[in-house]
Amino acid sequence: MSQPANAVKKPISVKKTILRVLLYFVVLDVCIITLYPYFAMLCTALKNRVEIFSGDNILPVTALWSNFIDIWSRAPMAKYMLNSVLIAGGSTIIAMLCGIPAAYALARMKFKGQTAFLGFVIVSQMFAPVVLLIGIYQVMQRLGLTDNILGLIFINAAFNQAFTIWLLRGTFMGISTEMEQAATIDGCTRVQSMMKVLLPVAAPGIVTTLIFIFINAWNEYTVALCLISTDTYKPLTVGINTFNGYNMIEWQYLFAASIFAIIPVVILFMCIEKNLVSGLASGGVKG
Amino acid sequence: MSTKTPAAPAEAQELAKKAPRPSGSKKLFRKVEPYIWIAPSIILMAIFIVTPIVKVFQLSMSKVTRAGLVKGYNNFENFSKVLKSPAFALVLKNTIVWTIAVVVISTVLGFMLALVLNNKFRGRKVARAIVVFPWATTLVIQASAWNFIINKDYGTLNTLLMKLGFISAPVNWTPTPGAYFAWEIACGIFVTIPFVTFCVLSGLQSIDASYYEAATVDGAGYFQKLFNITLPLVKSSLTVATVLNIIYVFNSFPIIWTMTKGDPANHTDTLVTYLYKLAFYNGKQGEASAVSVIGFLILLICASVYMIYTLRKGDDDL
Repeated sequence: MSQPANAVKKPISVKKTILRVLLYFVVLDVCIITLYPYFAMLCTALKNRVEIFSGDNILPVTALWSNFIDIWSRAPMAKYMLNSVLIAGGSTIIAMLCGIPAAYALARMKFKGQTAFLGFVIVSQMFAPVVLLIGIYQVMQRLGLTDNILGLIFINAAFNQAFTIWLLRGTFMGISTEMEQAATIDGCTRVQSMMKVLLPVAAPGIVTTLIFIFINAWNEYTVALCLISTDTYKPLTVGINTFNGYNMIEWQYLFAASIFAIIPVVILFMCIEKNLVSGLASGGVKG
Repeated sequence: MSTKTPAAPAEAQELAKKAPRPSGSKKLFRKVEPYIWIAPSIILMAIFIVTPIVKVFQLSMSKVTRAGLVKGYNNFENFSKVLKSPAFALVLKNTIVWTIAVVVISTVLGFMLALVLNNKFRGRKVARAIVVFPWATTLVIQASAWNFIINKDYGTLNTLLMKLGFISAPVNWTPTPGAYFAWEIACGIFVTIPFVTFCVLSGLQSIDASYYEAATVDGAGYFQKLFNITLPLVKSSLTVATVLNIIYVFNSFPIIWTMTKGDPANHTDTLVTYLYKLAFYNGKQGEASAVSVIGFLILLICASVYMIYTLRKGDDDL
């Protein structure tokens, strides 16, 4: 228990009751404000065009669930969805394949240039893809990866390296080396001791990192907007703007599609929410 | 103990001294081994982060045709063109206002929210799960939702306020570009708060309750405890969260792009939307690269503060 207000037991006082009520009031307000945009999106997704543009009702008069079905035929939603899964999944795999060995080396070995490498990892966070877009575009042109999902996978993996390495290094350093030493005495190679001993113990940290990269890649917008021009290669974040045309916005479809894009991520995020906090503390924040 | 023990580095060195000398090739391998482990990561970042950085710096000092052909160095002409253009001063001012407003307000509100959520109360888990929503949602969708909510003709904010009887006629929430920019800032704050809150919560959870008990025994009030115990102990979480936020917010593109595209006439542009338009709408890649470089230089100051801070902290822990 770390809350100051209740640290010492006292009989229930008027002041305490007021504080409790105030606490619930604040929490409730925060939750309402936070959920309001989602509520507005859901209500709008269930209305028809006329009702939306009249602006008369908050709740739809009759819930038009068919909007959620219509979007699949009005735009290549299934393609967008598949692309998002491929991009997010691919980026996660590559980021982990590159990040785990690097984090392992930083946590378990000592070598020249270690501090420089760590420093580079930190500084690289400063360069968001958007400021490098011109450079990224040229590199992709050279590699023939513009308008290609593979290009987006590599970009997302690279720009999530810093975070991956940082979180995993923290996780690995928090695990005692004793078990690995024992495994080595038993004749395991370094790779074996890492795969069989360290990684299973580090699983919660690894899963947290994995999901976080997946979410980042799933939500990425700017690079995809710039690199992808073929409609059927677009991920959801870019694709849903089909409903956001120049002369007319079809809000009901835009928001129905948005809800499909939000739900998987929010569920994943809620799974790791608790671990992410300790992960940030051990890996990112405390170093 | 075998000679192969990959113990903690210091132990390993000691062991190595005692153990019989390994053969030459083995010794060489042990020296090279760490670099093999970090190689995939380095290659990935070299191709997709370092090369674009080099390219951007090159382009910023080169004459570039509309088709993207590089025609040799041109003596910082891109920089002087950018700095002389009247739009740039406005864009720079917007960027600074945007970054400071979003970071400062979301840090204060996020910190306060963390204090609230750190209390024990019924439904705390649900409340925390809800608070994390905006962090998990992609910015484009958040921005679209707010764009809809504040629309003066059919937005739900007007509908809601009219139903509640606070206003009698629809209000135009975005009468000026400045007002629109303020809404963009509000949206930025809205999505940034969860990150601050969760960083602070992680700091708060590591504080030992006995500090507070001792302070209470000594007769300290709530605010005394807040300023003398809580704040100093979450300072490191808060600092890192703030520096990362400065970088993220400074580079944030989707909110402004979705809500106004920087219009009208650069009034809501920040450096990143400005450079996007320069590069991909106006075909001025050289000037756009110069804007990128100016952005780096501003952020470099922030990043070096962050790096010095984290690396120093990291050395203490090792």
